Amino acid sequence: MNLAFKKTTCRVLVVSLLALSFQAAQAGLIRAEQAAPPMSAERALLLGTLDRAEVTAQLQALGVDPLAARQRIQSMSDQEVHAMAQDIQAAPAGGMSDWAWVAVVLLGVAIWYYAVRK
Amino acid sequence: MPQTLRGALRLARWLACAAVLQWLAGCGTLIPQTVALRTDWPQGVPRQVELARVPFYPQDDYLCGPAALAMAMNHGGAGVRPEALVDEVWLPSRRGSLQLEMLAAPRRHGLVGYRLEPRYADLLREVAAGNPVIVLQDAGLLFPQWHYAVVNGFDYATGTVYLRSGRQPRQAMPFSYFERTWRAGSYWAMVVLPPERIAATASEDRWLEAVNALARSDGAAGVRAYRAALARWPDSLPAVVGLANQLHDEGVLDEAAAVLRAALQRNPASVILQNNLAQTLSDQGRNDEALAWIRRAEAAHSPFASEVRATRKLIEERLLGSPNPAPAPPG
Repeated sequence: MNLAFKKTTCRVLVVSLLALSFQAAQAGLIRAEQAAPPMSAERALLLGTLDRAEVTAQLQALGVDPLAARQRIQSMSDQEVHAMAQDIQAAPAGGMSDWAWVAVVLLGVAIWYYAVRK
Repeated sequence: MPQTLRGALRLARWLACAAVLQWLAGCGTLIPQTVALRTDWPQGVPRQVELARVPFYPQDDYLCGPAALAMAMNHGGAGVRPEALVDEVWLPSRRGSLQLEMLAAPRRHGLVGYRLEPRYADLLREVAAGNPVIVLQDAGLLFPQWHYAVVNGFDYATGTVYLRSGRQPRQAMPFSYFERTWRAGSYWAMVVLPPERIAATASEDRWLEAVNALARSDGAAGVRAYRAALARWPDSLPAVVGLANQLHDEGVLDEAAAVLRAALQRNPASVILQNNLAQTLSDQGRNDEALAWIRRAEAAHSPFASEVRATRKLIEERLLGSPNPAPAPPG
């Protein structure tokens, strides 16, 4: 058995384990989300489950504790998880600090010192 | 030397004039919503509001997300400290909090997070209705610095928006400047509300999306939110289906069936209602009645044909399995 095959098998197993652990379907009942479907219900469910596994992994990569990451994903709708999977890296993350102001002031001082005062 | 200096001064003056002209010409496009508000103040919104009862939590470094969320959530009735929210919304590597997570976090505390339409009028309406609004601003001068703050008041006469922001419990910002910072994040704004209280600017579809998401995390809060939504929009299919499913989940089958029956009187052709009523009746052990309903559902063409078929199969198995059926556990 070659290495690439082993790697692929491992990945499939990891994703399917994560995906299965997120299943929360009610037997026999059609869900409220499906009462106003933006896309085919089955497709949404499948995307939702795969995205959940992927976004959990991404949150962990961004420094979130694995258990906390799973809980955070749990409270999101399928559409939200899908959106998150698309732009977790690019979406603006709010978080201003005083250091940003310090940086701006330092930059101003540097420009004044080197460009104007010389 | 003095001649070159005079030349440089003249050039600087021209540049300054050009900049001012440019700025004046650009005002309308830089702050389109403020300009519109000047002549067209939203109807029914008072000119001056300040929600003094919104608590204030000063932010630590970068932690404006948890701080803003804690202010809105405490106002919404959940006693939660900003420190406790760090684990729920903060992304260490990004040194900030994503909007989607800001919307999701209140659900874990039994509250609805609802994103507003990107309109100044909607923001003012929510504040006027007593709901503080979390906004995303770009507070950077040279490069983007994303920042969450809470709008808790405004005054038309002086053109001021009041915010709880960073370490300032009462930041006063001109309407125009606030719009410039708010516009950069595509006018992103949200409110946090208890399940019984529907946002002043809520639309039926989007509110129910938010309620569905709440029900995922907190079933009991979901039931209360669905009831409120149903009182507001009695014909809403997602509200009925959501309420009945939640009740079914909690084992309150009688009420779930009653809710579905009442909804079927308003909307007799709904395959979803028929299927879910059949499933609920079958779980109560009333399989004959269930079979009649599922046959009705099967007669109609719908995107839920496979679910309906599965429910019929289950009911038939139960009918064959036990001639004297005992109530099956829900789910």
